[in-house]
Amino acid sequence: MAELLGTFEQAVLLAILRLGDEAYGRGILHQVQESLEREVSAGAVYTTLDRLENRGLLRSKLAAGTAVRGGRARRYYSVAASGVHALNEAHKTITTMWRGMQWPAKTTR
Amino acid sequence: MAGEDDAMKGAVAPPRWAEALLERLLAAADRETVAGDLREEFVEAVVPRVGRRRAEWWYLRQVASLALRPLADHGALRNGLLALSFFTLLCGCWLAYMEFVLQHDGYASRSGMDLGVAAVGLATIMGRLLHVGARGERWLWIGALALIAIGGSAFAQDAAAGHFEGFVLIISVALVAQGTLMLLTLGRSAKSPRGARGQAS
Repeated sequence: MAELLGTFEQAVLLAILRLGDEAYGRGILHQVQESLEREVSAGAVYTTLDRLENRGLLRSKLAAGTAVRGGRARRYYSVAASGVHALNEAHKTITTMWRGMQWPAKTTR
Repeated sequence: MAGEDDAMKGAVAPPRWAEALLERLLAAADRETVAGDLREEFVEAVVPRVGRRRAEWWYLRQVASLALRPLADHGALRNGLLALSFFTLLCGCWLAYMEFVLQHDGYASRSGMDLGVAAVGLATIMGRLLHVGARGERWLWIGALALIAIGGSAFAQDAAAGHFEGFVLIISVALVAQGTLMLLTLGRSAKSPRGARGQAS
């Protein structure tokens, strides 16, 4: 079985899926912050993007920059088929683990 | 109006020195894209939301988070190497200082070697944090072999000596371990697929 995705990795992959063609660093950072409801550092997001890309779950391509970026290129990300599969596996695992449980969980005596 | 907005945005930018530092800390493949993303966020979102001063503080926090990336990104092996490098850097400085204070026979050559050990420790740390590239890493390969030789020889001499010195044993083992970890981890950054992918469209 493939290594299960962590929560942050799932948040990054889902952010890219939500953003579609507009998935580059800045937008991904915003989406991840929104979905996790907390401030997230750029370092954490770019480290995760690198790791997911090295694992073959993401693809990236460069595109021309804009004036406000000082002409610097943008890197756009897309989720590879293996990334979608990993997300589905992660969701399936969580669903299976919670089967038969009530949410929110309560303490047992 | 759009022209005025663009002119305003052009005037607002992160501190130049912080942007230069960020670009120095990033790997070549990320230099443009990450620095561009942060500048765009700074100009279009953070400054309008919190004002210039707090936006600069935000920018510095992002630079710090990216500066620590090599530590988080390279796994236990590289973290171990950084810890050992820091340890041998301190040991090298301390031994050199003690040699200068005590001035036993041959202290000059020994303190030179101690400073060499400290320099390799410092170079390893800086090399990891500043992405020295393949050319710079070539020198670190030489440093790694030198550390193994120095550590091995110190270990052998200590083991054969009449009075056994515990601190020499610890430092010599640390040097051999540092040299070995350097050999195992150097050049790995060049294997990132980034450089080969992502052609500009």
